[in-house]
Amino acid sequence: MASITFREVEGSSLKYWMLFGGIGLFVLFGFLSYLYMHHHGHVVTGMDNQIVWGLPHVFAVFLIVAASGALNVASIASVFNKPMYKPLAPLSAILALALMLGGLLVLVLDLGRSDRLIVAMTHFNFKSMFTWNVFLYSGFFALVGIYLWTMLDRNVKAYSKAAGTAAFIWRLTLTTGTGSLFGFLVARELYGTSMLAPMFIIMSFAYGLAIYLMVLVAAYAWTGRPLGDAVMMRLKSLLAVFVAAVLYFVVVYHLTNLYFAKMGSVESFILRDGGIITTLFWVGQIVIGCAAPLVILLSSLGRQRSWIMIASALVILGGIAQMYVTIIGAQAYPLDMFPGMTMKSSFYDGVIHQYSPTMAELFLGLGGVAIALLATTFAVKVLRLLPANLDDATVAKLEH
Amino acid sequence: MRLGLVIDLDVCVGCHACAIACKEWNASGTIGPLSDYQPYGAEPSGVWFNRIRHYEMDEYPNNKTVNFPMSCMHCEDADCVTVCPTGASYKRAEDGIVLIDQDKCMGCNYCSWACPYGARELDRSSGTMKKCTLCVDRIYDQELPVEERQPACVLTCPAHARMFGDFDDPDSAVSRTVRERGGFPLMPELNYNPTNTYLPPRRKPVIPVDTQPKSGLKESIKQFANKLVRR
Repeated sequence: MASITFREVEGSSLKYWMLFGGIGLFVLFGFLSYLYMHHHGHVVTGMDNQIVWGLPHVFAVFLIVAASGALNVASIASVFNKPMYKPLAPLSAILALALMLGGLLVLVLDLGRSDRLIVAMTHFNFKSMFTWNVFLYSGFFALVGIYLWTMLDRNVKAYSKAAGTAAFIWRLTLTTGTGSLFGFLVARELYGTSMLAPMFIIMSFAYGLAIYLMVLVAAYAWTGRPLGDAVMMRLKSLLAVFVAAVLYFVVVYHLTNLYFAKMGSVESFILRDGGIITTLFWVGQIVIGCAAPLVILLSSLGRQRSWIMIASALVILGGIAQMYVTIIGAQAYPLDMFPGMTMKSSFYDGVIHQYSPTMAELFLGLGGVAIALLATTFAVKVLRLLPANLDDATVAKLEH
Repeated sequence: MRLGLVIDLDVCVGCHACAIACKEWNASGTIGPLSDYQPYGAEPSGVWFNRIRHYEMDEYPNNKTVNFPMSCMHCEDADCVTVCPTGASYKRAEDGIVLIDQDKCMGCNYCSWACPYGARELDRSSGTMKKCTLCVDRIYDQELPVEERQPACVLTCPAHARMFGDFDDPDSAVSRTVRERGGFPLMPELNYNPTNTYLPPRRKPVIPVDTQPKSGLKESIKQFANKLVRR
């Protein structure tokens, strides 16, 4: 098998520093938003007693789910032993770490008392799915970190497959844990199903790969390194499969709910009467996030790199919409305390809860995205993560 | 011991006195303050441990207004306690009261998702979750006369619609009342086994509201004559 040269991005051009500064600006806005929210309390956000997880959590959960999926390419290389993916693996691992960092930062900074994070690290209730997730996230950093080390250091390269397999199993467990944060809740009608765990796994595959594709193409285009179509075509077909699988899970999930008469009302809310939630479901999640990318990726348009980028961007936007519907939609629908009866009262019963995110929440969420991108931009400058050449001829040699 | 409340839905008139007394006591109690948002604004809101809901049963003329005070149910198998990552939410073994340690709560709000009764109150100023304490700082206060060692809501209820006591004692007033009146917990199917129990509203006789057919001249003369004779 031919060897491949990894090289750092030079990162001394004006373009690099402008990119760095631009992303850094969003990190700064995110930090300022956090200070503002922390100083005044969540009273300055759109969150209230009914909507307790707002837009920052939408971004946080999206990034955490995407982090797990971004490791996909590395897993294919080491666990499933596909040589073509091996040069792509280091970027996959660093992106996974960066996205997890961004997601966790937003999650932590959106806590009502983020200054008490130390409590979460010193007091554990092992019956809580949240606690399990704390360990899953920490373990993810450790395992993917070790995996990355085995890829970058020749002395420990022999352990790469073992580390990759451990990271692969861990990330599947992690996304199961993230899905189960919702799946283990019986009080909200849209949750309380084991379906959410595998659905989150397949969502992670799609979101992570879409982000990976965009970062890969941007990195190669901006550094002037050759990136052949062989890699792109393989990855875009994979993306199409993942997006189709997400659509399949969404359809089965809602069809199952519709089959149960007691779920009719909440399904009507999501699918027909939910206003912005319904719009985000049909336009954001289904059309932008699934249908349009599938049409692009499976048609002749999918052979053009620019269209693959558009499809990836649509998958990402659709993913955020899907998270919004999943997290905000479930809270907006009122609790059903008297099943079978129409509830009307002076206290929000039977009333759809309204939620208007503030700019501070939006920028805190975007700050998490920016942290992930900034960490990746910095990592490719200081570490040898990107192959110097990924043209078709080089990739072809890897497979023989 | 398993302390909790019995609320008589037949007697509750929905005056909100219990909610006010609760807010007054707890805002200056161990868990306070209970923040208010825009108290003098167009849409005032805030943290309330006890909220009174009003429901209309059936349609006119068979309708009946049911006032439904709701606070933490102090469930035996409380899901809010199960899901709390730091153990800030806990259930006291000695009396079954579910409390939140305000120093350990980091405001993840996950318990709010888990409570099917919507009893958790997010204090957006303090950043922590709060809820009914069953006036734990009152009911054991040795400085108070024995008859006043009850939750503020129970003491203040003008209709005596609220009772406080030990559900583990089969001879306690709350246990006897629940037995005699067919008390029920809210959403028992979830198996959280809530301690607070409601007494069902009694059905009242339906008041006839059919309009009488208009009588003719002959009928009017007859009624007039009857009236004279009756005198």
